[in-house]
Formats: sequence, structure tokens, C-alpha cells
Amino acid sequence: MAYSEKVIDHYEHPRNVGTLDKEDANVGTGLVGAPACGDVMRLQIRVNDQGVIEDAKFKTFGCGSAIASSSLATEWIKGKSLDEAGAIKNTQIVEELNLPPVKIHCSVLAEDAIKSAIADFRAKQAAQRALARG
Amino acid sequence: MRLQGIVLDLMDAFDALGIKPQFDLNLPEVEARHRSLSAALHPDKFAAAGPSERRMALGKAIEVNDAWRRLRDPVRRAESLLVRYGVPIGEAVEPRPSQDLLLEMMDVREELSGIRRAKDQPALARLSADMRAKETKALAQLSLGFAQAQGETVKLQSLLPALGTLRYFRRFFEELDTIEDEFLS
Repeated sequence: MAYSEKVIDHYEHPRNVGTLDKEDANVGTGLVGAPACGDVMRLQIRVNDQGVIEDAKFKTFGCGSAIASSSLATEWIKGKSLDEAGAIKNTQIVEELNLPPVKIHCSVLAEDAIKSAIADFRAKQAAQRALARG
Repeated sequence: MRLQGIVLDLMDAFDALGIKPQFDLNLPEVEARHRSLSAALHPDKFAAAGPSERRMALGKAIEVNDAWRRLRDPVRRAESLLVRYGVPIGEAVEPRPSQDLLLEMMDVREELSGIRRAKDQPALARLSADMRAKETKALAQLSLGFAQAQGETVKLQSLLPALGTLRYFRRFFEELDTIEDEFLS
């Protein structure tokens, strides 16, 4: 199966590979996996006080499409509000990267990763507010 | 599966080799069975036969080869058994991996990347041995699960997470093998 040019570009030059401090209160971490292929994907966001994602990093161990999907996801969510980022659909990733049907689950994984990172960040913030109220 | 223009609806791997469907197999026995079937289906044996008979023998030989490849690999054997008993497998239907498993796999894959950069052969050997021991444990768990399920769908379904874990181990060892080869060359 041939990868599209955009997948190859992201695979060879992945954007935003790396780690953010997951203990940081402003950082949300999403860790997701695809059981049928053994892929694991971590996507992290740093959110500023205005609720805007100012940085995003990812690390994916998986096929080219999984790497490309998560790389693209970090590019797209930077500068977006949490609601905007959470509204990104896997179908947009499929379209942008020309993913074939057998690789659609890679885009689903990336969408899940964004959503879990946001959920993790919101849970942390809620916990902090609860603590502050004492 | 498409091979040399022949479209095959692959039959059950256990049926293809004529062996009892179970997870714990005597692999040398299954291999011997595969060898004798392959020999009986060899094209030389059908040199004098008509074209349709030759095609059938070839199709059967491909099926037998594929069945052996599936059964000798524990992950694919487990998949074959689950499919046989009507448990759907695949990305869309299997349960999500646990966070514990994902954390562990992310950790060991990153450790592996570090070892690769450092070209640290002893660390590679240590991690490999460590993971092999865990894989052996996971395999034993799956084997016990299959034995206890006795073909019951609900019980077989509960084995999917263990199967998923083994797939993660397999991916890990694929990468480890590549790095081992790199170190050797």
C-alpha cells in the first residue's frame, strides 16, 4: 500500500515530537492505543490562562499513518481554544492525509488523543479549583 | 487474499491442517502435518493432471501454507480461534487497551529508543530478557484463558485484552529485532 505524499512528509519530518511535563497543572496528556495493531500514541497540550492551546507535543509508536495523524493533530490544535480543538473530527484528518480505509483507525486514534488530552487538562483544573476552595 | 490471480476465501486454519482447534498445540506435530500435506500437494505430483485439478491443488497448497503460518504464531493462532468461535476481532470491535498497558508500552518503547541512540548492547539484552519473561507470562495467561473458556463466546470475549497485550509485545520485539540487527551490522 502506498502512502500519500502528505503522510510521507509528516512521517519523515514529524512536527512537534516531544514531551511536556505531565505534572504541570497547565498540561493535559492523552494516552491512547490501537489494540489490533499495537500502536501507542501520546498527545500533550499546554493551555494558557485564556484557555488557548499554546503548545502541543506528541510521541507515537506505530505505522506511518498513525505518526502522520498525530503530527497533523498537534499542528492543527496549536493556537486553538479547547472547544475548537475538541471539535476536530477524524474525517478531517482522513481527508487532509488521504488515508485509505484500512488506515482510518489511525485518524480515530488521533481524534481520541486530542479529546483525552483535553479531558485530562479539564480534570486537573477541576481538581485544582476544588483544592483551592478547600 | 489475492495471490497469483487466485482469490481465496481462506478456510479455518485448524480445518485446513485437519487438527483439533485449541490454543495449546504441539507445534512440531503441526509442522510435520503441514510438511506431509505440502508434499502431497506439490505441483510435481499433479504434472499429469488436468488444469482444474492443478489449480485446485495449488489453491489447497496455499491454504495449507497460510494455515501453518497462522498457527505457529500465538497471536494469529488466538485470532484464528476467536474468529472460529464467532468472536469478532479488529480495531473497531476490540476493547481499548488499559492505561497501565499503554503507559508501560510507551515507557519501554522510549527506553528502546534511548538504547538505540546510545548503542547500548548490554541494556538491549537486559530489556529483551525482561520483556521476554513478561511475554511468556502473558502467553501462559492466554493459554489458561482459552483452556477455561471451552469455546464459550462470553469467556472468549474476555480474552481480547490479553490478546491485545500480546500484540503490543510483538510490536515491541519487532522493533527490538531491528535494533539488534543494526547493532550487529
